[in-house]
Amino acid sequence: MSYCVHCGVELDRTEVSCPLCNTPVNNPNQPIDINGKLPYPTLKGQVDPVKRGDSAILLTVVLLSTAVACGALNLLVFKQGLWSLYIIGLCALLWVFFIPVLIYSRLSIYLTILFDWAAVALYCWIIYYQFPVNHWFLRLAVPIISLLTAFVLIFTFAIRYFKTSILSTAFLVFAEIAGLGVGLEIFIRMFLNQKIHITWSAVVLVCCIIIDGMLFTILKRTRLREEVRRRMHI
Amino acid sequence: MLNEKYKTNKPRKDRQVWYKLDLSANVYPTLQRKNFSSVFRLSCLLKEEVRPDILQEALDRTIHRFPSFHVAIRKGLFWRYLEPNRNPGPFVMPDIINPCMPMPFKSKHQHLIRIYYYDRRIALEIFHSVADGGGGMFFLKTLIAVYLRLLGHEIPDTFGVLDINEPPHREELEDAYLRYASSKIRLPRSQQKAYQVSGTKEQFHTLNIICGVIPTDKILAAAKRYKVSLTEYLNAVLIYSLLEKQKSDGNFRLKPVTLAIPVSLRKYFPSMTLRNFIAMIYPTVDPRYGDYTFEEIVDQVHFYMRYHLNAKYMNASISTNMSATRNLFVRIVPLFIKDFILKRYYMRIGDKQASAGLTNLGPQSVPEEMKEHIERFDVLMGQPFSAKTNCAVISFGNVLTVNFASSIVETDVEMVFFRKLISDGIPVKIESNRNMEVL
Repeated sequence: MSYCVHCGVELDRTEVSCPLCNTPVNNPNQPIDINGKLPYPTLKGQVDPVKRGDSAILLTVVLLSTAVACGALNLLVFKQGLWSLYIIGLCALLWVFFIPVLIYSRLSIYLTILFDWAAVALYCWIIYYQFPVNHWFLRLAVPIISLLTAFVLIFTFAIRYFKTSILSTAFLVFAEIAGLGVGLEIFIRMFLNQKIHITWSAVVLVCCIIIDGMLFTILKRTRLREEVRRRMHI
Repeated sequence: MLNEKYKTNKPRKDRQVWYKLDLSANVYPTLQRKNFSSVFRLSCLLKEEVRPDILQEALDRTIHRFPSFHVAIRKGLFWRYLEPNRNPGPFVMPDIINPCMPMPFKSKHQHLIRIYYYDRRIALEIFHSVADGGGGMFFLKTLIAVYLRLLGHEIPDTFGVLDINEPPHREELEDAYLRYASSKIRLPRSQQKAYQVSGTKEQFHTLNIICGVIPTDKILAAAKRYKVSLTEYLNAVLIYSLLEKQKSDGNFRLKPVTLAIPVSLRKYFPSMTLRNFIAMIYPTVDPRYGDYTFEEIVDQVHFYMRYHLNAKYMNASISTNMSATRNLFVRIVPLFIKDFILKRYYMRIGDKQASAGLTNLGPQSVPEEMKEHIERFDVLMGQPFSAKTNCAVISFGNVLTVNFASSIVETDVEMVFFRKLISDGIPVKIESNRNMEVL
């Protein structure tokens, strides 16, 4: 039997070095048994795949059949207007939203959000196609969807790359609500060709600034933060 | 809780038998993620090479005696539950170098136990929602007894070997927490953050094991010299190792070193349950009070455990946890919200309460006729939730094994632990699955 000269523990006769300190085994009286049975197998296990594909197939079939059936009904039976476009668009929207979750989980989250942006924009365009009034798609819908997507991307980035707590997450959420409110009002006023200034969104902005100020103070004052944690722990 | 009396003579009624998850079992599926499941391993090293065909036959005969092990986990609107698994299997498999792999619930066949064989070893891996170590040992011992019987040996149904021809006793399937949680006092849920071992995280699908094989009489003698029990002595050695590790890290701010120790409640509350029936205790040594000698650590652990290990404190501990599951508001909250809250609570508070885990399944007894076929038992706590190390102890006859499982590259804690045993005059033999090239 061999012992580790560093740790003093007895080693298995197949060990080439001590598993604790990596000191090589050097015992002239008992060479390492290279062909001996190892105490543990060398075969590496793999996790069984989760059957996500089945759910994805089911979802695709349900949405596709709904879209095709509604399209056929619109063409052959209820021919008034292109109402089936709303349902087909909605099916496409749901598919884009849910399929990355069910099929390809390694897809970048940012790319997924951009796909979602495209799907929502496409659905708005379908509505615009039916009601092409005042270029509302390009002047109102696209800026609002883009702003919302930008905030979602910022939120996702912050959550993934910074160490966040419930309080700091809440801080970010209120900051984004304030930004979204202001952005919404500006886009609406631009669309209505009104003078650009803020009214109702100013109220939202002030409320959010107060809440964020409070959260910032709590975050910076350790004692206060601990007190809030103590009193509000779940 | 057993929904309907189990009737072995009416297999078609299986679908109606389902089990609510017990108090501990509710937590483990919540923590499930792509690279983590709460899986632990019990194994037995026989004296002769295992025959897989006979082992499969033994498993097929044994599994029906343990309906709570032959289950799949399902999601309800408010809680998860277990129901009989009607898929084929479980099947015995050649053992692997990375045990306690994640056990995805929606994977092929959805079994919550795995049985492996390698050379002379039979290993049973169990998802923790199914059973604790005590319950799992009943399954493993019965499986080995059936296996040995198939090889022609006479093994009686005693010392943890259950009769596979008998239907399961109702009490074996009960949620014992429900029966005993009756304390009126509620204990504080969280404590201060403990020191967390820092190290280089291993890549996915790697679990480093270091197993120390120790003569039981030698380690008992060492514990006796310190006038403490074996568990107290091992806890003290692990705390000592973690304190040394923290010192060597050179952190500016020291943190208390805390162990999470599961305690089997069967000793305090008589129950035949094969499902989870454990409570946690957290012995702590705080280096901010100053440097502790090993003797002082032993004293701290000894008095902590003597103070806390009693039926009243254990009852208060489980009653505190039960109060949440009994709360009407908590019960009507949808499962996905419960999962979200519980997971965040565990990640931010629960997981940080302990520096390491240590479990001691104690001395194992088997029928006299089985002893000559068994060399030793092993227990492995499985993959830790975060990058730390877990330690599990079990003994059989004069062989005690201490198994460290970790998902970090460094072996500092294990090294100090075993060196301390050596310095106390205890001989240790080390076995490991570590690939030394990565060090």
